Amino acid sequence: MVQLVADKHVRYILMAEKKKESFESVVMDHLRMNGAYWGLTALDLLEKLGSVSKDEVVSWVMTCYHESGGFAGNTGHDPHILYTLSAVQILALFDKLDILDVGKVSSYVAGLQNEDGSFSGDIWGEIDTRFSYIAICCLSILKCLDKINVKKAVDYIVSCKNLDGGFGCTPGAESHAGQIFCCVGALAITGNLHHVDKDLLGWWLCERQGKTGGLNGRPEKLPDVCYSWWVLSSLIMIDRVHWIDKAKLVKFILDCQDLDNGGISDRPDDAVDIFHTYFGVAGLSLLEYHGVKAIDPAYALPVDVINRIIFTK
Amino acid sequence: MGKMGEGSCSEEDLFDLLNQFEHILESDPLIDEVGFIHPSQFTLLNKEAGFSSEVQPDNRTWRSFWNQDHKLGISTDVLIRLCKDAKHVFLTAFEAYKCDVKACSESCSICTLESEVMKHSQSVLMLSSDFGTAWNARKLILSKKDQPCAFTEELRLSRLILSNCPKSEATWSHRRWIIKMMAQRFSTPQEIITKESELVEAVGERSKMNYRAWYHRCWLVSYMTIEQVLQELNKSKRWAGLHVADSSCFHYRRRLMLKILEPLNVKGSTAYDKTEAHKIWMEELDWNKELVERYVGREALWLHRRFLSLNWIMYFACNHSDVPSETGQSIIMNEETVNFIDNEILLLESSMTIPDTKFEDFQAQALHAAAYMLWLTKHIPELWRMLEEKLGTEKLKCVLSTIAQERSSLLHHLVNHTVNLA
Ligand SMILES: [Zn+2]
Repeated sequence: MVQLVADKHVRYILMAEKKKESFESVVMDHLRMNGAYWGLTALDLLEKLGSVSKDEVVSWVMTCYHESGGFAGNTGHDPHILYTLSAVQILALFDKLDILDVGKVSSYVAGLQNEDGSFSGDIWGEIDTRFSYIAICCLSILKCLDKINVKKAVDYIVSCKNLDGGFGCTPGAESHAGQIFCCVGALAITGNLHHVDKDLLGWWLCERQGKTGGLNGRPEKLPDVCYSWWVLSSLIMIDRVHWIDKAKLVKFILDCQDLDNGGISDRPDDAVDIFHTYFGVAGLSLLEYHGVKAIDPAYALPVDVINRIIFTK
Repeated sequence: MGKMGEGSCSEEDLFDLLNQFEHILESDPLIDEVGFIHPSQFTLLNKEAGFSSEVQPDNRTWRSFWNQDHKLGISTDVLIRLCKDAKHVFLTAFEAYKCDVKACSESCSICTLESEVMKHSQSVLMLSSDFGTAWNARKLILSKKDQPCAFTEELRLSRLILSNCPKSEATWSHRRWIIKMMAQRFSTPQEIITKESELVEAVGERSKMNYRAWYHRCWLVSYMTIEQVLQELNKSKRWAGLHVADSSCFHYRRRLMLKILEPLNVKGSTAYDKTEAHKIWMEELDWNKELVERYVGREALWLHRRFLSLNWIMYFACNHSDVPSETGQSIIMNEETVNFIDNEILLLESSMTIPDTKFEDFQAQALHAAAYMLWLTKHIPELWRMLEEKLGTEKLKCVLSTIAQERSSLLHHLVNHTVNLA
């Protein structure tokens, strides 16, 4: 069987950061903060975070800090909760949370909660359970969950539950593995998993596995490496991961590697990218693949990073 | 910036390119489709449009953009430069605009900057549709406008962008913001809702299983009157029948069907409401069965049936009260329920036969059918006894082993629990 070519992935990630001349990288630069989180977390899981300059990254992250307390996807852009979590996660990886004005960042996030408990992504008001997760995850890392109405936030998430056991972005929206991860993650962090019908949701999730072993994110879609993360982490949080064939999934992810130049793609033989490289490595981490550090399924950060945060006052 | 003077392109040339692009957008406001095209396609497109190669002026515009019949093609050769420049010019203009607003400068200076920001943000978004800051800049400026036409124009622009980037989340989100603004400031625009719904269907035609597009259509439901809901149910039926693998489209129908049940959840619902809803539900179940039998092995159809059957049993198959029983609560097995289940067992049996031809589709059909029945049993444990009775031990074993081949741990867990419950 094919092995994980970890060194090549490390090289690919380090190179991807320097290569900025493709159209893909130009159209992605508004979410550079997310890209940095994917790349850096993958490096840390492969125990190679030391190969990037901590000071350089941290000072770049801080150039994206906005006076409102939020972070932008890149220098000079508008802040959004999506990039705020990535920024906080990056600082957590480097153990540099202390440079944050925690009061201000947490007020920015808490300020996005609406009357019904939901969260907007920014001042323009789009609502999505992804933003609920981000807010809860971010505030939990900053130890400021008391700044929001957790009960209402949980009630809103529960109102997005569908008859199939899954969750969507707003009440009545179609179940989607990415949204399910967010809702289950938020419920896990706040200790509210009893709201989930574990057998029913586990059923929907394990039906995402197809004959190739790969997982899809919705019925009738092709399997895709990124769902190794979303489906798998959700299954772990609700204790139903044994309902899928783990060995087949490992093989599927490994088959998506570019064995020559590093990087992981969505499906075998497709072009690799940083997003799927991270989710592939993170998936293997959840599958306890040898040589990959353990990742926390709710916080999407290495377990040792989360422990460091939790066990420091 | 530090990207000047590469090759033969001078700085002037570069901004020239952006100017040309913006000039085209300005001079043809009726452009309704945009796309990125490979330079080799230019010759082909020109030939189709009836241009001979001799009369083609050999300038940069001609090799970078193609604009005919309100369709705009942008050469993939110029995308990177164009996109970088557009972003740079936009961010500079937006920064200046924000400074001016803060400083409360004289209104004519703000006006000029405002149109600069609108012009450049449009260019950026045509090239990079998820560039949130550019959409935000437009929202900021639009929120100060009070003529409906400014918002209608914005719907046109975002529609144009969707023609190239049908999955762009920021673009769909921007449309929702516009519609919300219009609903607040003017009146709830019923015909806009209808048009939006048609737009999603058109986009869905070219971009299959597009979650963002169908989410947008579901979002519209909350603005619909009950008449519109019924119309939409009719209108989306044909499309769904032609795209039986598009689960998102069937989810849209579920959203509409639940809207029809809503009156039944409140006290004081009339018998008429219930009869109407009952009729619609029966029709959908019958139609779904037709599709299931015609298009063998389609997961989306069987998942739709799970939803339809469970709701049907909860709402219509218990005659004792008008309030539906919740999932998990014991459901009284009256005659109608028993008849319904009998028919579902027949469907299961016929779906379990696997002919030698088209083996894979029928194998999938058997799995979906078996999983469907077991899924209902999870919600209604009494079903287990009916299955044992009707199917007999041998056939029931066969049903279970069909599932066991694919999902053995799930089955193991469920059978243990269900058998204990029943
Ligand atoms: Zn993917």
